[in-house]
Amino acid sequence: MNDLLPFEWIAAIRFLREGRLQSLFIISGVAIGVAVIVFMSALLAGMQANIFKRVLTSQPHITLERPKQAARPQRTGAPGQSVLATVQKPSQRMSSVDQWQKVRDEARRRPDVLAVSPTVAGPAFVIRGDASQAISLIGIDPEQYVKIVPLPDKIVRGTFRMTNTDMLVGTQLADDLGVQLGDKLRVATAAGGDLTLTIAGIFDMGSRGVNQRNVYVLLATAQNLLHLPGGVSSIDLIVPDPMQAETIAQSIANETGLDALSWIANNNQLFVALNAQTFSSEMIRVFVALSVAAGIASVLVVSVIQRSKEVGILRAMGGSRGQILRVFLIQGAVVGLLGSVIGSVLATGLMAAWRTVARNPDGTPMFALTVDPRLYAWAALIATLTGLLAAVTPAIRAARLEPVVAIRG
Amino acid sequence: MRLAGVRKSYGIGTPAETEVLHGIDLVLEQGTFSALIGPSGSGKSTLLNIIGLLDRPTSGALLITGRDTSTLEEAQLTRLRGRTIGFVFQYHYLLSAFTAMENIMMPILLERGRPDSSMRDTALALLQKVGLVQWKNNLATNMSGGQQQRVAIARALALNPSLILADEPTGNLDTQSANNVFELMRQVSAASGTTVLLVTHNLQLAKRCDRIIELVDGTIVSDRESPAA
Repeated sequence: MNDLLPFEWIAAIRFLREGRLQSLFIISGVAIGVAVIVFMSALLAGMQANIFKRVLTSQPHITLERPKQAARPQRTGAPGQSVLATVQKPSQRMSSVDQWQKVRDEARRRPDVLAVSPTVAGPAFVIRGDASQAISLIGIDPEQYVKIVPLPDKIVRGTFRMTNTDMLVGTQLADDLGVQLGDKLRVATAAGGDLTLTIAGIFDMGSRGVNQRNVYVLLATAQNLLHLPGGVSSIDLIVPDPMQAETIAQSIANETGLDALSWIANNNQLFVALNAQTFSSEMIRVFVALSVAAGIASVLVVSVIQRSKEVGILRAMGGSRGQILRVFLIQGAVVGLLGSVIGSVLATGLMAAWRTVARNPDGTPMFALTVDPRLYAWAALIATLTGLLAAVTPAIRAARLEPVVAIRG
Repeated sequence: MRLAGVRKSYGIGTPAETEVLHGIDLVLEQGTFSALIGPSGSGKSTLLNIIGLLDRPTSGALLITGRDTSTLEEAQLTRLRGRTIGFVFQYHYLLSAFTAMENIMMPILLERGRPDSSMRDTALALLQKVGLVQWKNNLATNMSGGQQQRVAIARALALNPSLILADEPTGNLDTQSANNVFELMRQVSAASGTTVLLVTHNLQLAKRCDRIIELVDGTIVSDRESPAA
């Protein structure tokens, strides 16, 4: 007996130790439950972080565009008069964001914006001999744009070099046209632009569509080709917290009168899917916790029945109802706590196993498992509380035992 | 310890209401060693439970060291029971998760809340008294029936109670062990002046007590000095 421990703790620990097999099984049950919850949470957090990273590294958080041109009827009716008119939606012509330098500078001054980059984007063709391919021509300011999309990291051949005769193409486009570094390609647009540019680098953005369609050139080159001298078609922004993008976009839209599209609005379906995933994992966690609680409660109920004579004798010897109650509550809490510690170790093992198994074909890890140390603390706290709550019914049962009845049994 | 007009009924308010004890008057003088005998179902155990504060009488009074117990609350009764009464049952009911010494410490531990060295000293002295010092670190379950009952007696003495209630403490033992246990109780009672009330079926043992109280159908039919005393 440890002199530092009160009677309740001594008895609780001795009872658990004596009921070896029972205690072992229920602690394993709790441990498995906690391991599942911790591992699943880490897996889910890692997966979602990975999805966000992939989505976010190839696109800006917010894109500012000129508002869509709207048609209005030429005649308006005088008061009391109505005019019948068919209003056709206009086709959207290529045009610049009004006073884009001013918009850019204002956006840059905002504390909730990290980087601002103007771009010119429009349709074009690349032509090599008889072959031609439709592309999306993107004119960028390299210094600013790399803060939005880390293009230099995506270059697989050549360098991130941008002069007014250079272009960057995707791996897929290079394959389709059979071109390599240093080759020259003609770029033509519907606006009448026609230039021959040199391939300075070939990039891989991780998406076949992007690798086939996107072609990066200098801002001035794109302005020239798309016939948009001095103008830009959009302004790209990134913000410190991507999850706040929609709120910030709304605020910028209100201030500038431009259309502000956040990545959240652009990827609405993704968010719905991720939320559904989070919700279903919450459900699994709740049910695992419930089954763990039911397990602890059932073991303790059996233990109370097995020990009813001992409880009776303790009561006859002057043990109070409160002391008996606490002995069983502590057993529940200890089972929860021990289970959560072992479960956390198990989960760490599972994660290590996952890291060695889940790898891309090239040997790099599929994604990093995100483990928040607070997760362990939470798991321990929740498991201990669950154990304590599960023990309430059996403990009350034990405390209510009448010594005479319990001893006569 | 004094009982005055104690009645006990079970199933009160139901058609099966039965009175088990019909007005018991009984005084146990401090330091006496008495036997309570009677056929099965005569109410011996009920009487013992009432004296032991494990059960309350339906009517009548129980005074312990001059104090009326009928007005006490549950928690006060529990404390009084722990301090003044020691129990020895037919089956020992030692806690199997604890050693012999720890079982003896248990009543003191329940009262004080935390173990300390004075408890250990008390327990060791009691083990010496019942002749089991070399068994002190044995788990209760690893001892013979007679040894377990001796530990149970030592445990009943832990808080130096004024009254020991023994419900057939020798009922499960062979003659030799029963004799040892009985002698031990007599010795202890004589040495510390503890009052003992012993419920037994064994007339041989009863005759070796100071006083024999016979209960039949919930009434004391005879209460006499033992011929041996």
